[in-house]
Amino acid sequence: MKRTLMTLGLALAGGLAGAQSNILQLPLINDPILNPLIAPDLGSILVNKVLFPGLVRPDENLQPVPDLAKSWTVTNGGLVYTFALRDDVRWHDGKPFTADDVVYTFKTAADPKSGSRLASDFSSIKSVEARGKYTVRFTLSRPFAPFLILLGHNAGILPKHLLDGKDLNANTAFNRQLPIGTGPFKVSRVVPGASVTLEVNKDYYGAAPKLAGITFKVVPDLNTQVAQLRSGQLDWVTLEPSNLASVQNVPNIAIKQANAVQHFLVFFNLKNPLFTAPKVREAMQYAVNRKAIIDGILKGYADYPTGTIPTALRTYYDKSIKPITYNPAQALKLLAQAGWKPNARGTLVNSKGEPFKFTLIVDKGNATREQSALAVQQDLKKIGMDVTLQTLEFGTLVRDYLIPGKYDANLIWWTTPPDPDQYSFYATGQDNNEAAWSNARADSLLRRGRETVDPVARKNIYNAYQRLTMQDPPVLVLYYPKELQAISKDLTGVPDLGIRDALRYTERFQLR
Amino acid sequence: MLSPGYVARRVLHALVVLAVVAVVTFFIVRLAPGGPAALADPALRDAERAVIEARLGLNDPLPIQFLKFVGNAVRGDLGQSFLFGTPTTQVIASRLGNTLILAGAALTLTLLVAVPLGTLSGLRPHSWLDRIVSFVSVVVLAVPVFWLGLILIIALAVLRPVLPAGGMYTTGMEGNLLDLLRHLLLPAVVLASASIAELLRYTRSSVRSAAKLDHVRTARAKGLPQRTVHVRHVLKNALIPVVTVIGLQLPRLVGGAAVTETIFAWPGMGRLSVEAALGRDYPLILGVTLVVAAAVVLFNLLIDLVYPLIDPRIRTDG
Repeated sequence: MKRTLMTLGLALAGGLAGAQSNILQLPLINDPILNPLIAPDLGSILVNKVLFPGLVRPDENLQPVPDLAKSWTVTNGGLVYTFALRDDVRWHDGKPFTADDVVYTFKTAADPKSGSRLASDFSSIKSVEARGKYTVRFTLSRPFAPFLILLGHNAGILPKHLLDGKDLNANTAFNRQLPIGTGPFKVSRVVPGASVTLEVNKDYYGAAPKLAGITFKVVPDLNTQVAQLRSGQLDWVTLEPSNLASVQNVPNIAIKQANAVQHFLVFFNLKNPLFTAPKVREAMQYAVNRKAIIDGILKGYADYPTGTIPTALRTYYDKSIKPITYNPAQALKLLAQAGWKPNARGTLVNSKGEPFKFTLIVDKGNATREQSALAVQQDLKKIGMDVTLQTLEFGTLVRDYLIPGKYDANLIWWTTPPDPDQYSFYATGQDNNEAAWSNARADSLLRRGRETVDPVARKNIYNAYQRLTMQDPPVLVLYYPKELQAISKDLTGVPDLGIRDALRYTERFQLR
Repeated sequence: MLSPGYVARRVLHALVVLAVVAVVTFFIVRLAPGGPAALADPALRDAERAVIEARLGLNDPLPIQFLKFVGNAVRGDLGQSFLFGTPTTQVIASRLGNTLILAGAALTLTLLVAVPLGTLSGLRPHSWLDRIVSFVSVVVLAVPVFWLGLILIIALAVLRPVLPAGGMYTTGMEGNLLDLLRHLLLPAVVLASASIAELLRYTRSSVRSAAKLDHVRTARAKGLPQRTVHVRHVLKNALIPVVTVIGLQLPRLVGGAAVTETIFAWPGMGRLSVEAALGRDYPLILGVTLVVAAAVVLFNLLIDLVYPLIDPRIRTDG
């Protein structure tokens, strides 16, 4: 009995032997949906990037390079895109990949009734047709410059022979257990609530993968993710700055930062007369100490903002534009011009003696955002604004406050494809322009920006837009965050990209 | 002796409780602020939002949705989970087994530790053993579960990596019993900790009360050996109420393991309930609540049915 117990004890304490080597282990926070057209969350998107290549993928400058398409031509003033597809691609079930799969994918993706989450990305498609077995032609209803970038973003190609005529959402066997893509790895096993295991696709059309496999493990708690990274059960974790201390100076872990195409901001509801005057919003840029937020809360892992176009969009971002730095005196001057002056008690009031009073909402549970909102509130208090901070669960914030426009100010963020097109966020009357900002010149620039294919002309347009948003800020941009990665030093071959774009290149990854 | 009328009444009572739980949960989750995670993306366009709402069946008026839910539920169909896109019953079935493994391990640990230690403590009040046991159990009760979990992970998985930091199996070793046991140890200890402390204190006081009963004193006075007095008279009386406490702890192990399962990435019901709540997955919230409620009702029913058998003083035919 004693011996049995001892053997059992030794076996239990037997380290982590048994884990297979050369298998990359990545975390997810919940079970993914293995279908790029309906994937609702980041975790699903990450797995789909490996399983479902697109026609193109982004290079390290976020520009599209060939993937399933060998080459393409753009004709008719940016209205017609013709793609020559690879003829050596097979689906994970062995069937050949053809132009019909591409046609099926984009017809479905562009159709909002299909339940596709990419419908707005591809609403510019007028028609998509196969011109032979390996040629596809897209005709757009209007020139749409971000088209190629969007093809390389989330638009993985789906197999027509398995999905045609079926309800995208109801097809649970495909979406949950047995997705069929064309990527370098294919699903070998899904354990609900626990893991998705991928093995090498021996028929992969590109360079042979160097890893033996990839395991996406469901680890919902970030602290546990960090613990698993440290104990070698995970190889790559994206972090919040507040978790940094727990992985710094750990021998086998490197900290990397990648550019994220995101801007964190405070929306002001412009239907509220408090915020209508551009001078008031301009004053906010001076009143909030954004450098303190970046240095203190984000530990320096963010760029100082100038407008809504993040620095990650290197090609379009205008570095020459001078940022607005912290200057409460200047804020008070601008507010005075807009009719708001401090009274004897230091409270900002208008001519009727009414205080500048509003509620700032932020989602609950994310330390970076909660602390940033607190910093904004404190800074605005310093110049006499009466700001109440309210934390809400994210779903509640979006559904009950943001979408119906029942808010004064709201700290949130936009993650966009790697393209400067922000028409849907900041043009008058667009669904995502929840701040209800309206500026005729910005509308014109944003429209021209998405219709102009020539890169130089396009850059000029977005530079002009960026300058405009410094004077009439649609929102208060707080920072452009960096994606913080804690990554095993054994992992090599990863391109210098954020994790979602880097996962388009898993065939190059290698574990020592 | 159990009368058929008594059993029938108890079963009927259980069904009514379940129906009430279903109705109350339905309206509470629907009237709570926010909405399904599928709709929480602020970048969704209005048209896309409308399609998702229609697909999830959320554009009917609430009373109609309720009637549809009741209609389906009586046929055993709890609807399609919003998050998983599969029938709720299937999602729950895939996780229930994992939770039962964890809960079973935690219960075993609880019984193995709490009952003997609580009994010894109760039989020797104010001894050094009793003092240590009381002190430790108060500390354990005061420590938050997530903190205890993280401390154990840091100590035994990171600083001295002798056990895995989470999950149920090492990938590729699914089904391996030894691997399962290695993964089970930490979460089971964490999940059992509060139950052990609670049951231990209850057992101790129950044993102490029983030791003071008249017939125990009489037995002692008759000169029966100490051991016989303890086993035949004290323990027999003391452990009957302990059974009730164990019964009450069982459903907590099944449904209340949310924190433990999240920290240890254990794919069970507790974590599922958190996912369902955060994702406002209405059918899944209802499903999980019903399963947990059913567990509570079932365990209570079992206790009610077993009680008269172990304690003949309780009559069931009245």
